[in-house]
Amino acid sequence: MEDLILELKKEIIEVLNLEGMTPADIDENAPLFGEGLGLDSIDALELIVLMEKNYGIKLANSDEGKEIFKSVKVMAEYINAHRTK
Amino acid sequence: MIYSIGDSIISPIAMTSQGNFEAVSRGESRLQYYEQAFGLQEPCFISLFDEKRLDNAFSALVDFGIGEYTKMEKAAIVAANQAIEEANIAADRRDVIFILSTTKGNVDLLEHNPYEPERLYLWRSAQIIAEFFDNPNTPIVVSNACISGCAAQIAAANQLRFGGYKYAVVVGAETLSKFVISGFQSFKALSKERCMPFDANRRGLNLGEAAAAIVYTIGDDSTSLPDNTLILRAGAINNDANHISGPSRTGEGLLRAVDKALQGFDPARIAFINAHGTATPYNDDMESVAITRAHLQDKPVNSLKGYFGHTLGAAGVLETIMAHQAVKNQTVIGTLGTENPGTVNEVNVALQNQEAHGNAFVKLISGFGGSNAALLLENYRNSAMPEETRYTTSLQRAMPQRIATCQITNKNVVANGNTLVTRGATCENWMADIYRAIGMQYPKFFKMDNLCKAGTLAAEILLRDIDFDRETVKPDWAVVLMNSASSLDDDRHYQTTIQDPDNYYPSPAVFVYTLANIVTGEIAIRHKIGGESSFYVFPSLAAETEQQMVRQTFEANPELTHIICGWVDYDEGKCDVRMSLFEADV
Repeated sequence: MEDLILELKKEIIEVLNLEGMTPADIDENAPLFGEGLGLDSIDALELIVLMEKNYGIKLANSDEGKEIFKSVKVMAEYINAHRTK
Repeated sequence: MIYSIGDSIISPIAMTSQGNFEAVSRGESRLQYYEQAFGLQEPCFISLFDEKRLDNAFSALVDFGIGEYTKMEKAAIVAANQAIEEANIAADRRDVIFILSTTKGNVDLLEHNPYEPERLYLWRSAQIIAEFFDNPNTPIVVSNACISGCAAQIAAANQLRFGGYKYAVVVGAETLSKFVISGFQSFKALSKERCMPFDANRRGLNLGEAAAAIVYTIGDDSTSLPDNTLILRAGAINNDANHISGPSRTGEGLLRAVDKALQGFDPARIAFINAHGTATPYNDDMESVAITRAHLQDKPVNSLKGYFGHTLGAAGVLETIMAHQAVKNQTVIGTLGTENPGTVNEVNVALQNQEAHGNAFVKLISGFGGSNAALLLENYRNSAMPEETRYTTSLQRAMPQRIATCQITNKNVVANGNTLVTRGATCENWMADIYRAIGMQYPKFFKMDNLCKAGTLAAEILLRDIDFDRETVKPDWAVVLMNSASSLDDDRHYQTTIQDPDNYYPSPAVFVYTLANIVTGEIAIRHKIGGESSFYVFPSLAAETEQQMVRQTFEANPELTHIICGWVDYDEGKCDVRMSLFEADV
């Protein structure tokens, strides 16, 4: 799980172009949206692509994403349970 | 007075304005479900041209060489030709200007281009259309995302009032492709069934192909017009300065545009509002808020997206013509697809065709880049028309002063004539180097494409020594930019995310930048600019073009005090920015 969390943090920094951030700067329990990293609706859509591309998980819409993208930890748990690659 | 002397709609439904109106009045639509269109990996619900029918219409105009034109160009030419014939003008005259409204032009050629490489450029398509009619002038391309069709009509009015032209041929044209549809799919913005504008259960939009054209001309207020002439009374463009893809929750920009377009006009003359009504949750909610805040909530509101789909660059032109046909026939067209209206503010959605009361109508439109436009139009009826003087034609204001300049090339950054940053010998990321060299603090910068980065950096440099209100949205500031490649640099990037069927992951964060006017939106957000935001495409920058844009924008918007204007291009690794800040001479 720790490995997956670290991998996920690296991927998020890369696909969302979070300049100057390192995995250590992201608290896996903190909310990704709103306060947290200051992500917006386009970032949420890009995370949906990340889930499909890297883990083979298809999400129908951003509403489904809302629950899953609560924090890096929640994301990692969801990926662990549903990944197809 | 600006008025129409000819128009045309070429759509999958019918091949004339009247034909489209009659079919739509009967509830016809060619929107349908496609399991696999354009090699897409998801089904979609779209409206496509019957290519045979389009080719037949086009081949009636040419003796040979039909294969030399793309589908978009053929549709645009057929529409323009019909409108020009109705207008009965010679399109090869010097006092005729062509204005093309399109968002993505021939972008499908990125996948496979049997034509010359320039064919990917919007200015080239516009040139081909203007050359077809032997027109001698450089055509203007308006590429302002979804509001392009209304922005092009405003540009036409400006050219007729201040540009010395007698006729403006406004052509809106858009065809669909894997590129465009996959992008909207990645945004989760499409409905797989017929769209339901303003409905409580709306789930997204449908896309459609179309071309539409209007020939506008100018006359003084005493010009005697035939009954049922369409008059363009006023138009306004305002930016939300809020977000590059999401509309303002408070309808800020759209409300300002509506208030401005309707200023001094008796609302009793307004028969209905033809809304954008895309059927996405956010757009329709936003429009309901703006309509209510403008005190127009009792007027019938309709959307034509359930018939044609969202025809992107063609939408503003097509829907203006359809609304005129309706008001001419004293009808409000019902909103196909909608059953139970449900938006954050309650508005009077016309569900069925109903009788229209009044000769005027309001056309609303909003789009990516935070852009919004409102047009006020009226159907001329001699017996019922009060005197109206809205559009002046003489220049009222002094030429604004150029108070700051910024040039960015691949070699250096020059601000107000002084070299500010020079590219280092070991530079790997020039845009990021400039960002650091000027001490900018704006994490969003790193999410942008190269075009937006270049424009955002230039605006930052232009404004850094200027004393202005940085905290509140400024409706008296505008940003008007131009280039040659539109968003082609980012278009190529997006294409790589969909090119390989085995590695097909359309990227929403890349797609959002495949519209050139997003750079105006980024600058508007960063500096809270709430006035006009416009983007034009030309083959190259002529000094007089910049002068003309500044002059016309100031004249058309008397409230403006400042305009950021100029050239911002990024193509095949080459950065070419020449932007200035202009201040009104008060």
